[in-house]
Amino acid sequence: MSIFNQLVPRLSRSLGRNPADGEAATEFTLKPAYQLAETPEAWTLTAQLPGVAKEGLEVTAEEGHVTVRGRRNWQKPEGWTALYRESYDAPYELTLEHDNTVDVERIQAELKDGVLRVSLPKAEALKPRKIAVN
Amino acid sequence: MNRIIRYTYPRGTNALFANRNPWSGLESEIGRLFDSALSDLATPSPRFPVDLYEDKENAYVRAELPGVNRDAISVEMVDGYLTIAASRQEKDETRSFNRSVSIPESVQADKVTAAYENGVLTVTLPKQEQAKPRKINIAVN
Repeated sequence: MSIFNQLVPRLSRSLGRNPADGEAATEFTLKPAYQLAETPEAWTLTAQLPGVAKEGLEVTAEEGHVTVRGRRNWQKPEGWTALYRESYDAPYELTLEHDNTVDVERIQAELKDGVLRVSLPKAEALKPRKIAVN
Repeated sequence: MNRIIRYTYPRGTNALFANRNPWSGLESEIGRLFDSALSDLATPSPRFPVDLYEDKENAYVRAELPGVNRDAISVEMVDGYLTIAASRQEKDETRSFNRSVSIPESVQADKVTAAYENGVLTVTLPKQEQAKPRKINIAVN
C-alpha cells in the first residue's frame, strides 16, 4: 500500500487559528481518542468526545484537511466545588491530512453519546476500478 | 589498569530493595515514554476519567464514558464505595469499564441518582442532614 492516497493525522499541532477567527491564537487543545477504519469506498473516523454536544461541535473540511473541533457543553454550576479532577476543560481538536482523496461534498457526521462518527467517502478517482479486457 | 573510582555493585543488604532489579525504574520510565508517544496507536485503557464535585446539598461524581450502552451502565453503592461499571460495543467485541470511588460516609446511599448525557455520567449523592453546613445564630451579649 502506498503512503500516498491515505488519510493521516497531522503530526504537528496547528500553531493557532486563523487570526481572522478572532479567537486566541494559542489555545490549549486536547487530541481526542480516535480510530480510523478503511473500506474500499470510504474512511470512517470514530472519535470519542465526551461532554461535547451537537452545538459545540464543528467539523470542517478544507483543502487537504479534515478538522474536528469540540467544545464541552457542560459548565460547572455555581456553588459546585471541584474536589478532584481527572478530565480537562480544554476543547478537543483533531486534524487529519489527506491528498484531496476525500470527497468533501459527501462527508457525513453523526454525534451520539459523546462519540462522533464521520464518514469520509473516497474521491471517485481513488476507488478501485475493474478494467474490462477486450 | 588502575581505576580512579571503583564502582561497587549494589548488594542486597537493604531488605526493602533486596529483590528489586536496579534497572526496573529505568525500564518502566522508558515504557512510559513509549506509551505516551504511541498513545495514538494503543488501545485506550479501561480506566476512565472521573471528577468529584460537591456543593452544599450533594456530592457529585462525573465520569467520562463516551458511547457506552445506556442499559449496561451500572452504578452501585457498597460500603462507602461507588462502583461504576459500563460497557461499549466496539466492532465485534464488547469492552467493559469499571471503577470504584471512595465516598464519605455522610451520603444517603439510598437516594443516589444518575444521569447520562453527551457521554458523561453524572451521579448525584445527597448528603446526610448532619453533614450539610448549618448556620447557627449565636446571640452575643
